[in-house]
Amino acid sequence: MRRDQNLALVSAVVSGAVIAFGLLLLLIGRVNPDAGQRMRGVLLDLVTPAWSVVRAPFDGVGRAIDWGGDYFGAVDRNRRLEGELAAAHAELQRAAADRLALVQLKRVARVRVPERTLIATVRIVSATSGSVVRTAMVSAGSSDGIKPGQPVIGAAGLIGRTLETGIGAARVLLLTDPASRVPVMVVRTGQSALAVGVNTPSLELQDRVGADVPLRVGDRLVTSGDGGVYPPGVPVGTIIRADGDPALVRPAATPVGAAFVNIEAAWLPLPAADTPATTLAPVPIEARRSGAKVPVAAPVIVPANP
Amino acid sequence: MIGSVPPLRLMSPRERRRYWIGHWRLAVPALVTLALLLLMTAPVLLPMPVFPQLGLLGIFVWATFQPGLMPPWLAFLLGLVADMLFAQPLGVNATGFAVAALFVRSFEARYGHHAHRFDWAVATGVIAGSALLTWQLMALAGRPVPLLAMGWQVLTSALAYPPVVWLCGWVQRRAFGLRQ
Repeated sequence: MRRDQNLALVSAVVSGAVIAFGLLLLLIGRVNPDAGQRMRGVLLDLVTPAWSVVRAPFDGVGRAIDWGGDYFGAVDRNRRLEGELAAAHAELQRAAADRLALVQLKRVARVRVPERTLIATVRIVSATSGSVVRTAMVSAGSSDGIKPGQPVIGAAGLIGRTLETGIGAARVLLLTDPASRVPVMVVRTGQSALAVGVNTPSLELQDRVGADVPLRVGDRLVTSGDGGVYPPGVPVGTIIRADGDPALVRPAATPVGAAFVNIEAAWLPLPAADTPATTLAPVPIEARRSGAKVPVAAPVIVPANP
Repeated sequence: MIGSVPPLRLMSPRERRRYWIGHWRLAVPALVTLALLLLMTAPVLLPMPVFPQLGLLGIFVWATFQPGLMPPWLAFLLGLVADMLFAQPLGVNATGFAVAALFVRSFEARYGHHAHRFDWAVATGVIAGSALLTWQLMALAGRPVPLLAMGWQVLTSALAYPPVVWLCGWVQRRAFGLRQ
């Protein structure tokens, strides 16, 4: 009886300690988000190859269904494509003239345009749908040159950015994750805004510059290149609800169809990590007047997608 | 059980090995729950969190089937694995799973065993509570998520309870025999 009581007491204490430790871990994670990065990488390396084998037959079935659909819908699509092609030809001629003008203007103004660098073309192995965090796993990792914070671009548009890497696998933060914020531009009006994930199929358009100009359903959004991670001009989505606040955006590319994606280097190189230590604390006016050597707060460069 | 075997020091290495390996059943609940967690990373390409919380259901079911083999500290360790598998801040699932195991343990100790449907209702309550807790803990970790989008997962998890119970019951019969 006494022993039972002691055991119950010990187990209660252990349970309490464990829960307290969990909360402590959360606080540590808040201060240092990179904690546990390596362990996650190891688990990624373990899980991804297994799923890439398991999903192979399902991919085969999916391709077969696609093929059947292609076969039966071919005539309709051909007619539609011919119509689109005629419109595209006209657009192309205008674009060629614009491109020529742009080249001349750039030569005059000596604009330096950063190059987009392809690092790897990989396939999306799996996207977790069992968690509040929306991520996908791809079958290439640090051994292929992939680092956290690189844009992931599918054939139809932007997919997301890399979050963590293992040796042979990496995790991609999808656009629909609540932590994802993509600087975009409305193509028709040229306004910049943020496409923010909310854990639903559509994104929200927030912080639009010039909110008094109305959006229209069907307005296309492309990346603006602000923040330096995503290269400009990559399709992000289409406005599907313009009147509400915030407007809703349907992503151009979903990881469902995007079997293969490109992982590129961050568009503009991020500032070096070993910048001199600075403080953001306000310096008293007296200290400045006295001529004491005070650390100067450097301009803080916030990455596009914190 | 311990009393019936000779002291470890008197065993030959082979006997000692067999003695330790003979305890494999202790790891069964943890391994089944781990397998359920790995199943949750399956490539279900839907743009919302809709895949059922199989890991939490595993914790719940094993905490009712084998309370001694699913203590809160084990749930905590499984939650850490879940956090790393799903790229969540370390500690979100760990705390949630440990709290769930602790709740089930105290609930069962106080109110005893129940019919399947009652347990189903309790499991649904635990999952909904865990969703609320996850919402708060994600905010505490500095990565707030919207609450309403998690409703689908609560729904699918409630629907996934009977299959998980069936699976765990099958493992229970195979590994531990007919008891209770």
